[in-house]
Amino acid sequence: MTRDDIKEVILEIIKDIDEEAEFSDLDDDKPLRDQLDLDSMDFLDIVMELRKRYKLQIPEEDYPQLATLMSCVNYLEPKLKDA
Amino acid sequence: MADYQLIIIGGGLAGLAAGIRAARFGLKPLIIEQHSLPGGLNSYYFRQGHLLETGLHAMTNFAPPGVKHAPLNRLFRQLQLSRKEFVTHEQLESEVFFPQASLRFSNNLDLLYEEIAARFPMSIDRFRAVVKEVKAYNPFAEVPWRSARTFLRSRLGEPLLEDMLLLPLMVYGNAEEDDMDLGQFAIMFQAVFLEGFFRPKGTIKDLLELLLAQYRHFGGEIRFRSSVTQILSIGDRVQGIRLQNGEELLADAVLSTAGIPGTAEMSGWSLEESRYIGKMSFMETIYLLPELSLPPEHRAKTIIFYNLNNELVYHRPTEPIDSSWGVICFPGNFHDLPKNSPVQVRVTNAANYDHWQQITPEEYLQLKEKCGQQTSTAVSKILGDYNQNAVFHDSFTPTTIERYTGKRAGAVYGSPVKIKSGKTPWKNLFIAGTDQGYLGIVGAMLSGVTIVNQHLLR
Repeated sequence: MTRDDIKEVILEIIKDIDEEAEFSDLDDDKPLRDQLDLDSMDFLDIVMELRKRYKLQIPEEDYPQLATLMSCVNYLEPKLKDA
Repeated sequence: MADYQLIIIGGGLAGLAAGIRAARFGLKPLIIEQHSLPGGLNSYYFRQGHLLETGLHAMTNFAPPGVKHAPLNRLFRQLQLSRKEFVTHEQLESEVFFPQASLRFSNNLDLLYEEIAARFPMSIDRFRAVVKEVKAYNPFAEVPWRSARTFLRSRLGEPLLEDMLLLPLMVYGNAEEDDMDLGQFAIMFQAVFLEGFFRPKGTIKDLLELLLAQYRHFGGEIRFRSSVTQILSIGDRVQGIRLQNGEELLADAVLSTAGIPGTAEMSGWSLEESRYIGKMSFMETIYLLPELSLPPEHRAKTIIFYNLNNELVYHRPTEPIDSSWGVICFPGNFHDLPKNSPVQVRVTNAANYDHWQQITPEEYLQLKEKCGQQTSTAVSKILGDYNQNAVFHDSFTPTTIERYTGKRAGAVYGSPVKIKSGKTPWKNLFIAGTDQGYLGIVGAMLSGVTIVNQHLLR
């Protein structure tokens, strides 16, 4: 998957989690949780969805690396390169 | 190889919500429900062509769509259900009625502020401070028990107002007698006064069908009319369950919503059972009336919490029921509901399980009739001859509740001692639902969600 694909996937997952999510003002470098007003339960769903779709096991200590859209892409790029 | 990754005991709201979470993320779950319908305490039955709900007066925790952190909306996201498509009807207004005073409240906190300012002018600023404190309180922190009464006494210094605030909070969610844990108080205060009452469109049947459809959509399985007699274990792990018909099913984990005493019985969990059996149970009478004629001051109310004594005694009565305080609910009195005939009125009074449990079927019917009359005599003192033309009435009692919900002694709010972590002595056996500590319909579902998130999805 390319970096753009990964970004698409993340946004799609978030849209699935929150029907009201608004992406028009989203800043790739700012924390997703603050911008989208998500809580820790929603955040867990992003991790769970990645596991379900791509059999990706993301250990809890890596969660901080999923904080922003950019850091998500950076973190997932090597893991999803063959997906 | 296990038959299921997760077996959930009980198809009530906690079990269904837990099942949806598990199935959504690919665990293969099976729900075992002993009755032919889902819902547990919040189910329904049919009498003379009328669908009658068993538990629902109103849902608490009202929040409009868009308020993302509100428990109701978080719950919908967790279950991947559309909050926008879930139509709600907010309460008109409710009332706490005592001989000395009455307080009205609605889903707009300003009404309660106005009422307190008018009846208790010395206490209004103190009450505003209590609201602030409750909003900032984290009720989910695992801290030792603290007395809500002591808290209110020190903050308000007004015993009557304290009783009046506690009546709705206790009667809608307190498993303890007389006092209440401060954390539970904060949860109920938020749910009732800060967020408020509503009904989903339709009946509880529609909500249950929505949940069941979502569960099945994600691939979850459910078996009705099937009871678990034993939770099988080896050492510190459970292996699965045995059903009444002798069938054994293996599972990687088991989640029980059967309460602490019920779970103990199935698993052989040795604990001091009496500590975990609640004392507070209720009798509820449902009336169907061609129309309502009420005194003007009590018209267009959603719920009236009444107390005919000078003080609130939230305690198991010594008699079969105590009609001197209770709840009167008008399920038709919510915003934008179509006018329905007949009109429904429901009255709930505290009841003593032991009286109801020890008698013959014939005595039971007589007692039900007698207590029903006590209830209407007491309510008439407030509402006048509200039920004279009743075309139908039916009551359920602590033994009905026990039979249909598995809650020991008919204790609707379960054990006075909660296990917030959901953990048991077995590493892969967990509890969710009332005895985990979340209450109400939204609370029960959040309990199922939370326990699956914490222990099964990581």
